[in-house]
This record gives sequence, structure tokens and C-alpha cells, in this order.
Amino acid sequence: MSETPPPSPPPAAEAFYSGAYRRMERFLLALGLAALPLLWWKAGARFALGYVAGGLVAFVNFHWLKRGVEALADRITRSGRPQPATGIVLRFLLRYFLVAAAAYAIFTISAASVYGLLAGLCLPVAGILCEAGYEVVISVRRGY
Amino acid sequence: MRKTVFVLLTLAVLFVAAPAFAQGGPGAAPASDMKWIYITAGFSMALASSVCALGQAKVAAAVAEGLARNPAARPGIQLALFLGLALIESLALYTLAIIFLKLK
Repeated sequence: MSETPPPSPPPAAEAFYSGAYRRMERFLLALGLAALPLLWWKAGARFALGYVAGGLVAFVNFHWLKRGVEALADRITRSGRPQPATGIVLRFLLRYFLVAAAAYAIFTISAASVYGLLAGLCLPVAGILCEAGYEVVISVRRGY
Repeated sequence: MRKTVFVLLTLAVLFVAAPAFAQGGPGAAPASDMKWIYITAGFSMALASSVCALGQAKVAAAVAEGLARNPAARPGIQLALFLGLALIESLALYTLAIIFLKLK
């Protein structure tokens, strides 16, 4: 008795889901920019500047995480241009160093803006949640 | 296994109890209470970091196994790895944010 292979998703669904990274980055940027004036008005300039710094670090962190994941997948599947394992690990560690350096720099300038930095660093999660909600809505509407 | 659960539960009780110790008076906490708040904050961050690292290691190991078994499923697995790593990292970040708020 042979097993039947699982049905492959329609090309439109594949194209939709393959755009998830790009949409998450856009959601991240849009949320960051939308919240900035409100935070500046409600919490002050220092908090807003910390938020901008946190948002920038979060964006770079997000982008490097994506590249790290791609490099890891390339290495496992032996496709693309395999990179040395040391480079992949160092890039992962460099992300943590970047966040720590930004937090330390901002903490030495102003303790108040550290809360803004932390709020900015949480932006990727908000972007991911927006993408999840968007995918649910679209998949229900289009029947993927 | 029971011993590990006991140790984790004890740590959880200690973490919950620490803010209660800090509620001594209307003003700033006494120096002895602050010492315990700092110690608890350090332990909380260490615990969160180590558990997040374990979670990320488990995710990476599962993804490596899955990709090695079925390279054709790469797009979906890669997205799951990316989301898993990002969300697990954010848990450590939330711990740091809560610690900062408690030490304010």
C-alpha cells in the first residue's frame, strides 16, 4: 500500500506565503512610523528618540536574523552558496552584541530613553502579529 | 524529573515573593530590600536567557532534522524557524523590560 503524497498548495497561495518576510518588514516599518508621533507627544522626546534607536536596531536585527536563517538553511540543504559555520554563528552573536551596545550607549546618555529602546525592540513581534492577522484574513477570504 | 520541577517551582515562588518583600513603605525600598530585588532580577534574566537559549536550540535542531529529511519543504520550514527564533528572542526581551520596570 503506497502512501499518497500530500497535496501541494496552489501557486497563488505559495506566492502569497512567500511574501511573508517582505510584508513583516513593511508592517514593522509602518507600525514604527505610525507610533512615533504619538509616543513623542505622550512620552516625550527622550522616549521617542530611544524608540527610534530601538526600532532601527530591531529592523537591522530582523534583517540579519533572516539572512542567518537563510544561510543556515543553505548549509543544511547544501544549496545556494554554503557559508562557513563559524560565519553563521558569528553573525548570530553579532546581533546580540549590536543590541547590547545600543542599549548601553542609550543607557549612558539617558535612563528614560531605555524604555523607548525596549519599546522599539518589541516592534518585530508587533510586525509578526500583524502578518499573522493579515494571513488569517486573506486565507479565510481566498480559501487557501 | 521531580527534583527539577521542585527546584523550578521553588524559584518561581521566590520570584513571586520578591516584590512582596519590596512593598515595605510608601517611600523608596530599604537597602536590604533593594539587594533582594537586584538578586531576583539577575536570577530572572539568567533563567529567561537560559530557557530561551534551550528553546532556540530545540527549534534549530528540529529544523535541521526536518530540512535534512525533506529539503523540498524548505520555504515553510525556513519561515517557521525564522518566526520561532524571533518570538523566542522576544521573550527574553520582555523579561528585560519587566526587570527595568521593576527596578525603576
